[in-house]
This record gives sequence, C-alpha cells and structure tokens, in this order.
Amino acid sequence: MHILACPVCKGDLQLTVEEERDGDVLSGSLFCSHCQHSYPIVGGIPNLLPPDEAEAQD
Amino acid sequence: MTNEKIKDAVKARYSQIAERREQSCCASCGCGISPITKTEAIGYSREDLECIPEEAAMGLGCGNPTAIAELKLEETVLDLGSGAGIDVFLAATKVGPKGRVIGVDMTKEMIDKASAIAKSNGYTNVEFRLGEIEKLPVDDRSIDVVISNCVINLAPDKAKVFREAYRVLRTGGKFSVSDIVTERALSNEIRNDLNAWAGCIAGALEQQQYLRMIKEAGFVDLHVLSNREFYVEDSNNKEMVKLSSITVRACKRE
Repeated sequence: MHILACPVCKGDLQLTVEEERDGDVLSGSLFCSHCQHSYPIVGGIPNLLPPDEAEAQD
Repeated sequence: MTNEKIKDAVKARYSQIAERREQSCCASCGCGISPITKTEAIGYSREDLECIPEEAAMGLGCGNPTAIAELKLEETVLDLGSGAGIDVFLAATKVGPKGRVIGVDMTKEMIDKASAIAKSNGYTNVEFRLGEIEKLPVDDRSIDVVISNCVINLAPDKAKVFREAYRVLRTGGKFSVSDIVTERALSNEIRNDLNAWAGCIAGALEQQQYLRMIKEAGFVDLHVLSNREFYVEDSNNKEMVKLSSITVRACKRE
C-alpha cells in the first residue's frame, strides 16, 4: 500500500496496523493529520471515500 | 437532480451487478450473452482474456484494449472505476511483477469482488481502493498510465476527474481511456433520468465538450484512436439516442 494520499487534501496518510498477514494489512486505519480524519482499512481494503461519501454508504 | 443522487443511483446499479442481481450495465453492451463472449466482443483478444480470472470479466464497459496493449513492464497503472477488475488484471500481466496496478472504484461490492479475485488468484502487483475518481486517494505525480473503461461518463463532475488524472500522472505520463460520448446534446428528459445515468447514457457528454475538458485539464497530444457509433433506445423516453464509444489518448506535458 503505497503512493496513497488523502482524497480531500492530498496530504500524507499515517498507517496504523491492527492486523497483518504476510505483509498485507488486514485491518487498521489511515489517518490524515491535516483533515483530522481516519480512513478505515477493513478486510484488507482501505476505504478512502471522502468523509461525506463514506457516511452516505454506511 | 443532485450529484449525490446520481452517485447513489450508479452505486446501487453496480453493486447489484457485482452481486449478479443485474446483468446489463451499459448502453453499449448486449444482454443475455456470456460475459466472456461479451468482453471479447468489446475488443479484448481471447488470448489476453485467457490470462485472467474469468469472474473478473463481467462484460461491462466499452473496451479499452489499446490502452492495455501499450503498457510496458514495470509501469505503475491506475484504473479509474475498476469494477470487478478485468482491466487491472489484464494490466497486471503486462506490467509484470515489478509493475503495479491500482484500481479505484466507489462501489464497495465491486472492490470486494475484485479483491477476492486478486487474492484467490495470487496477484501480488495489484491493489484495490474504495474511493472516488473525482477525489482520487493517490499521490501527485505517482502514476505512469491512467486507464479507464467506460466509467468517466458516470461521474457527475468530469472536469474534476480529468484534473485529478492529470495531478496523479508523472510528467510525460499517459491518459488512455475509453468512454461513451454523444454527437448532440441530450434532451433534459434523458439527462434527468437516473436509470439512464446508471446505464451510461445520461451522463455522456458531447464529444467536443469531452475532448475540450481533457485539454483544459492540461493534457497535450490528444488523439481519438477509435470511434464506434451505435444507437440505443432510451426505454423511459421511447427515444433512439446516437452514442459513440471512443478511445482517447493524451499526455501530461513533458
């Protein structure tokens, strides 16, 4: 998981790993310090929908 | 009609397709034909299709075989609206183990499906991200080639999609997409029909406007590589609409 950026401000994202297998992050989060928003990683898939979109999908 | 309503209609349609509750997506694809036959009909060679998992080829899109054919080893490729992953997997075989292919799609069911296919077939050079093509979760100047197959028409703000593609491409990077466009402006009845949006009709721009937007995003060396015209009946409005499936290539200025 590289060349990632925050979909809103395009800033760097800080990875927090909760569960990892064979180098793949299965769960965790990607935090944008500028937007103060945390993007979840669930089932190995990062949810990088912009915050308003992500809420609409829940 | 708001952009959010359009996105919701598109997501609803494509999540159903991902789960096989709905077969037909686009105006350009036929119904009742097997996905592989359909996929071959939109321009991919059987040889290429044999290299990828069958379930990734859902028979969606208008085909982007040229973009795939031109990929080189070790390139980093981004697929806008990757669906079940057909173009991501085709691209992955072209760029090889040192290359990388990233698929972005806003429909969770499609990303789940594509990721599951990647995992069960042992792909190590692909990744899928749930995201919007108008707000790409991708770093500036990090991509060699942006590809997209019949998806940009579904985005309410296409100028933004082109600007985002330009931003993520490295200098000299290639923008190589296929999409549906129209010859003339569509009627307001069609434009306001959410079903026609999700079916790749209502969101289609006039070709000249589409190409102008790509240039306005900053791209140079813009070429229309193929143009296939077809008619489709807009069932709600009982009207025949002339559409074109075009393949476009452009570059980010050196």
